[in-house]
Amino acid sequence: METILTAFEALEFLKKKEFPVLESKIAKKEEEALFYAKEIGFPVTLKISSKKVIHKSEIRGVRTFIVDAEGVRRAFRDLLDSFYSIFREDDLEGIIVQKMGFGFEMIVGVYEDINFGPVIMVGQGGIYVEDVGDVTFRLLPITERDATSMFEDISVSKVVRSKRIADFDVLKFLQFVKKVSDLATQRPEIKEMDLNPVFVSKEVMICDARIRLLGARSV
Amino acid sequence: MDSIFQKKLKKVFSPNSIAVIGASDSFEKLGYHVMKSLVLGGYRGCLYPVNPASERIWGLKAHRSILDIEKEVELAIIVVPAKKSLDVLFECGKKKVMGAVIISAGYKETEGDEGKYLEERMRELSEGLEIPIVGPNTFGFVNVTDKVNASFTYEFSLIKEGGTTIISQSGGFCHLIGFLAIEERMGVAKLVGLGNRVNLDFHHTVRYFLEEDSATKALVLYIEGMDEPRKLFNAISQSKAKKPIIAYKSAKNVKRDVASKFHTGSLAGNYKIWKGAFRQFGILEVADSEELIDIAKALEACPSMRGERVAVLSGQAGPGIIAADVLEKEGLKLANFSEVTQRKIDELLPPLAIRTNPVDMGPAWYSPKTILSILKVASDDENTDGILFLNMFASANLKLVKEMVRILRDLEPFNKPVIACLCAPPGIWDEEIKEIDGQKGIVVVPTPERAAKTLANLYRIGSTGR
Repeated sequence: METILTAFEALEFLKKKEFPVLESKIAKKEEEALFYAKEIGFPVTLKISSKKVIHKSEIRGVRTFIVDAEGVRRAFRDLLDSFYSIFREDDLEGIIVQKMGFGFEMIVGVYEDINFGPVIMVGQGGIYVEDVGDVTFRLLPITERDATSMFEDISVSKVVRSKRIADFDVLKFLQFVKKVSDLATQRPEIKEMDLNPVFVSKEVMICDARIRLLGARSV
Repeated sequence: MDSIFQKKLKKVFSPNSIAVIGASDSFEKLGYHVMKSLVLGGYRGCLYPVNPASERIWGLKAHRSILDIEKEVELAIIVVPAKKSLDVLFECGKKKVMGAVIISAGYKETEGDEGKYLEERMRELSEGLEIPIVGPNTFGFVNVTDKVNASFTYEFSLIKEGGTTIISQSGGFCHLIGFLAIEERMGVAKLVGLGNRVNLDFHHTVRYFLEEDSATKALVLYIEGMDEPRKLFNAISQSKAKKPIIAYKSAKNVKRDVASKFHTGSLAGNYKIWKGAFRQFGILEVADSEELIDIAKALEACPSMRGERVAVLSGQAGPGIIAADVLEKEGLKLANFSEVTQRKIDELLPPLAIRTNPVDMGPAWYSPKTILSILKVASDDENTDGILFLNMFASANLKLVKEMVRILRDLEPFNKPVIACLCAPPGIWDEEIKEIDGQKGIVVVPTPERAAKTLANLYRIGSTGR
């Protein structure tokens, strides 16, 4: 028996565990979405939350950089249209209204390998993560030194020294990676987890998460 | 069980007495070759051939069964057909042997169920009898330190004694590395083929050679794959003995049939995790046999490499430039000589030579003394961490290396690693190279590229803290 959390449930789960998550609300109705967008402050992102959808971008389930009320309304309807063209009404949990994240896109994940047991992955994130494959693994749990060597393994570490990227707080990101390792160790029922993208600038912020838990829903 | 095994392993790998069950005088039988390895390999303990069909084997009195041997037997080497091996193992248990090498094949590695069944029975029986088994389906092992060639390949006895212990999942790989070791003058302590690992696995042997075997200064692991790799990594991290570990991982493209909907799961290729785990536990991964041989030699004979700065000294410009390219690619840097060093090199070389790093020593061909002076000056410079020393043969510098050997004898060992490439047609510098290789902190490898890579690996091992 296992459970895959919806996009919103996964974000809530991480927030409870005191991880930095971009401010997110779930809206069932257009007016709700508008209210939350104003509360959070523009620009915002709207995206689908459904137990049927694991990779939102594959069904065009994300709208970014929404800057005004008109944009919220348009994106909300748009998302519903594209969702209902594939799924039923009761498959939708709602539309996430989220503060727009900025920074470099990273991925941090955990996974239970058939031979190695629990492992952690760090790499360059975003929607092309599997095409780029700029990732590295370690066995869980990891030390701070492991987190540092993981960062050295991936070509993203060159980005930090780039003049094009204003800020990339390496230390905060490494602490974040260690925190993910600690969570996975304390909560072995987490069988698989993608945190992607995680925006890294002066701050580290989780934008999206996928979590597969062993057992029934116990968030 | 593991702790019982640990206690017995000394008797397995350094036994005072050996019974060869299935020993033979007939060249067609593996039992002949195992006897040959032990006898001609200079085994100094008591040796008992066992074969009910013979009176004497290899000039020694043969026994009908291991139970007919009056004195104790510490190690049994079993070379009987797979079907008979369980009965023989049972007798070994009665005889209270400390361990067994089962060379016989026909177990888990074969098609069909019979072999798998036999191996499962062997596992149960050996657990009950508490007998650690090297194998089955192995060429055996060679303890070069104590002259115990417990394998079917006598020629392994020609390997130079040294500090590197090789633990391998493949007998073929042991043959590859064993013969390369002879060819390239690499020293070996133990060469172990684990075979099917019925009960003796990587984690037992790694722990034993790290902690209990003082002759082992560095470990080499050849790994194809294993079901529970964590056992190996736990054994390494729990060991207090800090010896360098080198891994050669093959079967990198094994596809897993994992259909994960998540990015992490679908990216988690088996080899990617191995690679990460090697880094995590301070293990140097090498990509090919040459790299493995070279770094093992350098670990044995060279001082450690404490930084990234390299002096390239070359008798010809080209090989120096090639080496500099590889150094750069591998993350090392060309050293900037101190003023004092530069002045001394300037004095040693005529005005037209390129005297900055890489140094073109061509003009000093006829003066081995000058060339060695440059080497000394470069290694004394506080701005260098390692030296590449490259000399190609030409008719004109025929005497160069012979003279070097003579001068080196009276020199103090270098306090930084010197990786040399002395390249000549076969037969010309062979004796001299043998003389220099592994002496005074110098190691000789065949090409400038390999020389550069070896220094890089030496530096990496230094930063693992092992």
